[in-house]
Amino acid sequence: MAVCSAYTTQSLNSTCSISTPAKTHLGFHQKQVVFYRRSSKRGGSGSSSGPCVITCSAGDSQTVVIGLAADSGCGKSTFMRRLTSVFGGAAEPPKGGNPDSNTLISDMTTVICLDDYHSLDRTGRKEKGVTALDPRANDFDLMYEQVKAIKSGVAVDKPIYNHVTGLLDPPELIKPPKILVIEGLHPMFDERVRDLLDFSIYLDISNEVKFAWKIQRDMAERGHSLESIKASIEARKPDFDAYIDPQKKYADAVIEVLPTQLIPGDNEGKVLRVRLIMKEGVKHFSPVYLFDEGSTISWIPCGRKLTCSYPGIKFHYGPDTYFGNEVSILEMDGQFDRLDELIYVESHLSNISTKFYGEVTQQMLKHADFPGSNNGTGLFQTIVGLKIRDLYEQITSSKTAAPLEATKA
Amino acid sequence: MATLRFNSLTGTLEKNPTSSFSSNPRLSWAYFQCNNKGERRASGMTVKAMGAAKYKGTQMREKKLTEMIEKKVTEAKQVCEGDETSDECKVAWDEVEEVSQAKADLRLRLEIEKKDPLESFCQENPETEECKIYED
Repeated sequence: MAVCSAYTTQSLNSTCSISTPAKTHLGFHQKQVVFYRRSSKRGGSGSSSGPCVITCSAGDSQTVVIGLAADSGCGKSTFMRRLTSVFGGAAEPPKGGNPDSNTLISDMTTVICLDDYHSLDRTGRKEKGVTALDPRANDFDLMYEQVKAIKSGVAVDKPIYNHVTGLLDPPELIKPPKILVIEGLHPMFDERVRDLLDFSIYLDISNEVKFAWKIQRDMAERGHSLESIKASIEARKPDFDAYIDPQKKYADAVIEVLPTQLIPGDNEGKVLRVRLIMKEGVKHFSPVYLFDEGSTISWIPCGRKLTCSYPGIKFHYGPDTYFGNEVSILEMDGQFDRLDELIYVESHLSNISTKFYGEVTQQMLKHADFPGSNNGTGLFQTIVGLKIRDLYEQITSSKTAAPLEATKA
Repeated sequence: MATLRFNSLTGTLEKNPTSSFSSNPRLSWAYFQCNNKGERRASGMTVKAMGAAKYKGTQMREKKLTEMIEKKVTEAKQVCEGDETSDECKVAWDEVEEVSQAKADLRLRLEIEKKDPLESFCQENPETEECKIYED
């Protein structure tokens, strides 16, 4: 089943890969024919005088695009690993390409780091006095064009931002995958990019937890001290609050990570309170719930059936509003110590989109060495991964049911 | 108990640990002697523990990032002495964050994936400087 749509391409530039049908590097089921219309008019605003491209793609090759906003580096984060693992296969950097590539590719998914769309490299940012958080350091036009192209089945030559050298390296070819994940600081900043996303997630780490995590991350480094770690967070905060944080109101799911309430005065950041804030009414996404949808419940699983060690586990579920949107919030405070705790909790959650009983537990065990495997961060990241799989299957099955359409050039 | 696996393609011995390694990605070298019916076979081969860097390129990157962190923290402190709210100060600390995160990513990759990030690059380009097996 094929759908053909015609585009005029007034912005034919080097990032757009249009080729004759003989070349097969474009991807799985793509065929493209480019018609050039001769016109005596040069330039101007005429999109009608530009070349016309008719793209035919098989119905189920439409790429599903997921956006993930996170301030924790790119493509190598635990969340990405859990997500790609749900779909099966390990995600690896493109073989034989630039060793400093940020991209991860598995059978079903490709994860792109949005730092690759920096318009200014490290030197450029220093000259202009802008941080990487600032929109002025990023090329949203290119981001939009390329994500749009990949979504419609066209491969693109995407730049590479090298985090070691701080330079922009020569581009790498990205072929349209079944699922494209764009991860970085600004996946929902630009409205056009936002509209391309089939699902979006925002990872919201509270200041206290961020501080604790960065201490764990950096204290072993020769150059760092408590003061330098603190100063770095403080200095980035204004830009973070101005440009990154406001994106969370657009997210379909927010994973909020806070200090635990089970241990008074705890600031180690080891025991965490994690809230999964799920927007209601999102297409192909039914929020996870405890006991009954729309009701409010507090639940402590530890008791007679289950013995937990200190500080235990506490759940909460209920409806709420978040930046003016109707949401459902599932919250977990505490830690899993044993396998049977995890299974017990899983058996009481509903709408988790597992394909078999114990799938969440299995996924968590598979990556027991990942950070967060014993608390809500790992649990909710895994669940979101399963919801995304469910979303993908719903979208692709509805696409193959779509009737054949043809549009005239 | 650890098992030794001889990889004839690259000529390196890889040890599969059953216990997890320390978080220090620095290399720990060990000499293993293959015992066969009580005979001692001289190994002259060195074993690199999985979870640590294997290629020179990765070792170089680790070293470079460590130095950059130190350097950029010092720079940031200097720049911010005048005005903590200045753009230059913000940018300086942002650079510190960038290289700190890059180092942490590399460390995480080595520990969790237990594979050198240059693995696939070096399969294709074994003759480059970066792909020399790291030797202390």
